Amino acid sequence: MSDVASHCPYCALQCAQTLSPRPEGLGVSGRPFPTNRGGLCQKGWTSADLLRVPDRLTTPLVRSADGTLQPATWQEALDLVADRLARIRAEDGPDAVAVFGGGGLTNEKAYQLGKFARVALGTANIDYNGRFCMSSAAAAANRSLGVDRGLPFPLTDLAGAQAVLLLGSNLAETMPPAVAHLAGVRERGGLLVVDPRRSATAALSDVGGGLHLQPVPGTDLVVLLALLHVVLGEALADTEYLQDRTVGSEEVRRRAASWWPERAEQVCGVPAATLRRTARLLAAAAPAAGGTGAFVLTGRGVEQSTQGTATVTAAINLALALGLPGRVGSGYGAITGQGNGQGGREHGQKSDQLPGYRMIDDPAARAHVAAVWGVDPGSLPAKGKPAVELLASLGTPGGPRALLVHGSNVVVSAPNAQRVAERLAALDLLVVCDFVPSETALLADVVLPVTQWAEEEGTMTSLEGRVIRRRKAVEPPAGARSELWVWSELAGRLGSEGTWATDPAEVFDELARASAGGRADYSGLSHARLDGDEPFYWPCPAVPPGAEPHLGTPRLFLESFPTPDGRARLVPVDHHGPQDGLRPDAPLHLVTGRVLQHYQSGAQTRRVQRLNDTVPKAYVELHPLLAARIGVAEGEPVRLTTARGAVSVPARVTDTIRPDTVFMPFHWGGRSSVNRVTNDATDPLSGMPEFKVCAVDVTAARMRPEAHRSEQEVRV
Amino acid sequence: MTRLVVVGNGMVGSRLVEDVLAADSAGRFDITVLGAESCHPYNRVLLSEVVAGAYDLAALTLPTPVHDRLTVHRGTTAVAIDREDRVVVTETGRRHRYDQLVIATGSSARIPPLDGLSASAPLPAGVHALRTIDDAREIVAATLNARRAVVLGAGVLGLEAACGLARRGVRVTVVHPAQALMERQLDHDASRILEAAMIRLGIDHHVGMGAQSALVDGGRLGGVRLADGQLVDADLLVLSTGTVANTALAEAAGLAVGRGVVVGDDLASPTDRRIFAIGDCAQPPEGGSGLVAQGWEQSRRLAAMLSAGSPAPAGTTQYGSARASAASASAPHTPPGRPPASGAPAPGTDVVRLKAHGLDVVTMGVCGSQRADDPAQRTVRLSDPDAGRHVEVVVSGGALVGATCIGAGEVAADLVAAYTRRTPAPADPAYLLLPMLAGTSAAATTRVAPADLPPETTVCRCNAVTKADLTTCVDHGAVSLADVARATRATTGCGGCTDDVCGLLDWLRDSRDTTDRGENRLTKEKHMTNTAEIAAL
Repeated sequence: MSDVASHCPYCALQCAQTLSPRPEGLGVSGRPFPTNRGGLCQKGWTSADLLRVPDRLTTPLVRSADGTLQPATWQEALDLVADRLARIRAEDGPDAVAVFGGGGLTNEKAYQLGKFARVALGTANIDYNGRFCMSSAAAAANRSLGVDRGLPFPLTDLAGAQAVLLLGSNLAETMPPAVAHLAGVRERGGLLVVDPRRSATAALSDVGGGLHLQPVPGTDLVVLLALLHVVLGEALADTEYLQDRTVGSEEVRRRAASWWPERAEQVCGVPAATLRRTARLLAAAAPAAGGTGAFVLTGRGVEQSTQGTATVTAAINLALALGLPGRVGSGYGAITGQGNGQGGREHGQKSDQLPGYRMIDDPAARAHVAAVWGVDPGSLPAKGKPAVELLASLGTPGGPRALLVHGSNVVVSAPNAQRVAERLAALDLLVVCDFVPSETALLADVVLPVTQWAEEEGTMTSLEGRVIRRRKAVEPPAGARSELWVWSELAGRLGSEGTWATDPAEVFDELARASAGGRADYSGLSHARLDGDEPFYWPCPAVPPGAEPHLGTPRLFLESFPTPDGRARLVPVDHHGPQDGLRPDAPLHLVTGRVLQHYQSGAQTRRVQRLNDTVPKAYVELHPLLAARIGVAEGEPVRLTTARGAVSVPARVTDTIRPDTVFMPFHWGGRSSVNRVTNDATDPLSGMPEFKVCAVDVTAARMRPEAHRSEQEVRV
Repeated sequence: MTRLVVVGNGMVGSRLVEDVLAADSAGRFDITVLGAESCHPYNRVLLSEVVAGAYDLAALTLPTPVHDRLTVHRGTTAVAIDREDRVVVTETGRRHRYDQLVIATGSSARIPPLDGLSASAPLPAGVHALRTIDDAREIVAATLNARRAVVLGAGVLGLEAACGLARRGVRVTVVHPAQALMERQLDHDASRILEAAMIRLGIDHHVGMGAQSALVDGGRLGGVRLADGQLVDADLLVLSTGTVANTALAEAAGLAVGRGVVVGDDLASPTDRRIFAIGDCAQPPEGGSGLVAQGWEQSRRLAAMLSAGSPAPAGTTQYGSARASAASASAPHTPPGRPPASGAPAPGTDVVRLKAHGLDVVTMGVCGSQRADDPAQRTVRLSDPDAGRHVEVVVSGGALVGATCIGAGEVAADLVAAYTRRTPAPADPAYLLLPMLAGTSAAATTRVAPADLPPETTVCRCNAVTKADLTTCVDHGAVSLADVARATRATTGCGGCTDDVCGLLDWLRDSRDTTDRGENRLTKEKHMTNTAEIAAL
């Protein structure tokens, strides 16, 4: 086989790769492309190792009478699953079967999974792990801007910016090649990073690169309200833009009047002078002030919160006040995390959505999609439960009795994961499709081995809304099948209506038709068209025969916003703080996040030796003053106790973190899983859990007498 | 339906309406607001910023909720409460019936007993309090002609006004009868540091010196005579000599009134439990602080109590949850916290933060030199008068219970965060005196000479390549950056380490071969030309 142009299997940056099939295995190298400019991080360079992990699943597994997972044929496994699904459905109705998807699935799979749930299973109960990633940003952008496309502009637009306000994103760690796009703004001293840790990204603002704001965890919304206060109070807003292109600014202005910087400082811990400086730098960079451009970007750090939607709304309010969205070289964007976190949230995996980003409670949307699917609109289920609620309902009276999991490792990645494990155990049937025996797969009744990444064709939609092709470079191992095939087989066994294509190009064509006229309109696209050299950003609608084909939409909002009146909405929001506030027996903040070498639950990256050698196990970061107070030295075990449980991991002592905060990465399962202690309280609008902050007690896992003594000595 | 009448449409009264509407999910309340001022509610705290010219008046307007169960009467003064009929009477004789009544009438500027001034007559031209939006407007207008101003009273407001006027180019003299500036917050030592800072701003001051009379000529101010007979020429006098709670309405209705309307922990009047008082007009058990944070916390608490129909304890949430009433719908599981010890203010509501341009003062909780003789408390102080810096912390039981910061910069923000959330203090409280977040590790490693970098230092983060890896690579024959990139992947992620890797290679080559210099030195430009080659690997 010759070289194949494709993209990295991991994050939403979707770095371009050249895959070179060789006798000794697949070679991987970076390929010039606007987002990664030929670069790859260590995960990308080692991605071919994923294809040859030693415990790759190559045969279906079925839990036997003795409780162990035993190999089975596809026929046996699928018959078993279909039979039990049918029985559960017959006994308790279609909603007794639930589906959990993933933001790593291709567009074709995400689409087909949503269809499978609604048509073949007839269940309302489908949601996906994107609920943990993008739902707050999505809810806020839909409400304020009329559409949710993570970056409504090409990433390369950042190059000319004079200021970039980056909130809760550690992209130097999570998508390293993206850092190159910040070179310009760093030279101009305008990289403004908001993060409770001096992360690798925050450190980019050192030495004249910009400013680092290090707020108390859970108070980012206050930072944003104070920045807006300064912009409005000091008359730095783009009043013409507010008048011509928005509604709602007066109410938001009044809300911001209560958040003068000195008050905000008391809540968020960022000095008032720094808040003012940040607001002025940002405002000076805005086009209305004659600057070269300004961006406000949010990441999971501010979104994974019970006030995540409000926080993103505040970020959008700030961007609108400065007249940024819809201006070339400026804007607001959310930095999508998972590989297909964007496409994965557009085509029907979400409990409340149908393909094309249509809402499932919209009669016109139901009619359109039902027509494409060849079913009665009335047969489509209503809105289902969002992820946390769905997981909590598993195996409860009246809740789902069966769960199908695709592209997710919920027992590691969901908040309050101990409870999730309990819910999974209460199910009558757990079916997991994966290509490695993840922690969740190991709990399943049936495990179905599926193809991955370089073994399959499909499309992904990157963080900038660009639809790109994932291409096959190697044959999958004998025994592994595509999910498309799995769903087709199950649909057949369940006697489902509709057609169940297994060719990704064919599924894409159906997806395109289903998305036509929706917010995320792919109807003008096809695999063949995407195989050319032109970049395509959605929306890219089909055109009547004979007309010039649509070229896609690299930049949204240039003329108007996709709202009924064409204007963006400023929506008043206010701060209430984390659900799990500090208390005497949990007096510190716990925040979580990623490390460069690992991805999500680590099910993939922990199996890549070169990555695992670099960061082999979980740890907790704590400030030297905290370490000294509790008597812990580097590498010694620390116990983190929250209202939900406890974990013990080695200490990593660093002065890059606030002394009132500890940080733990979330890539490990079992006893090293930080999600055993994170909070599953959710945002009321988005259903997103509050992963990013909870109250914790931090102690030495083994009490050392000398630590006690040194504390005494200080008092003398 | 419960008829709730709120007298007062200021910062606290209007906030209460918002909080009640947010907390009243059952839709039980029908709310009537009577506000004496004819304008929308505004942020009084920022009036000194208007005086300073930093803010436009329009930026001060606060939210005015619109709701079908809410009626707001602006420009309507309540003149009587008929408790028997449960009616509030306005100046036009209109009667508003209530089931529950909240008095949030705030306070007025105290007019000091100076010769030439009268608390009952209008102030002479050139003399202004700074309490209302009209006061601010008039002071700003006066600065157009005023050359010299006296600010009488150097509390928070007085100092903010003085700095604001100075920022406008007015020559300012501060006259303060107490022995220390901001004497409710600062001791003598701290005051001396602040006085020095004022001199640097060109603001004259007389501390420990009262004013005797305002010299008025033809209805216009000409100067101020101090207690020692000294005359200060002035065409503008700003009175910032404290406030008086607006209690006349309550007093006339027979409610218990002290310095303010007396209320219990439940914010209800002991005389009539249908009547509540919050904000500056109230006198709760712990005393009124005059800070809006206290009024807003009372508003949150009262709204929760009214909507729940039962008392909510004080300080039920951490300070970050000050708007917990609005949050209750989304965070139903908020665990009840512990109310503060009797008499203590709710956490975070006694932080005083000066917004004066040029003066940096933050105080909270216990002041070291004024604290009670409590052996559990420990005061640590950093005194740096030559740099205008003074930081004092008081710790007790492993937590920060008070701090005084002058010229302390970022330390103050750290201390407020620790104080309001009661996070544990370091084992040695002396660490609290310097910025805890001023880490050095990241910045320090970026510009260290190659020879001095420890071998385990990560040079290329994207690909986890250490100095030792690069050394090994060169030892195995790598010459060019492309060689190194091919072998280690260094520089092939974000490219940000290219300069560092080139520097290291130069050093490695130099340290291994002293003859072959110049021609083969690696530069960033050469790397750029090599990119295509690397990409094609």
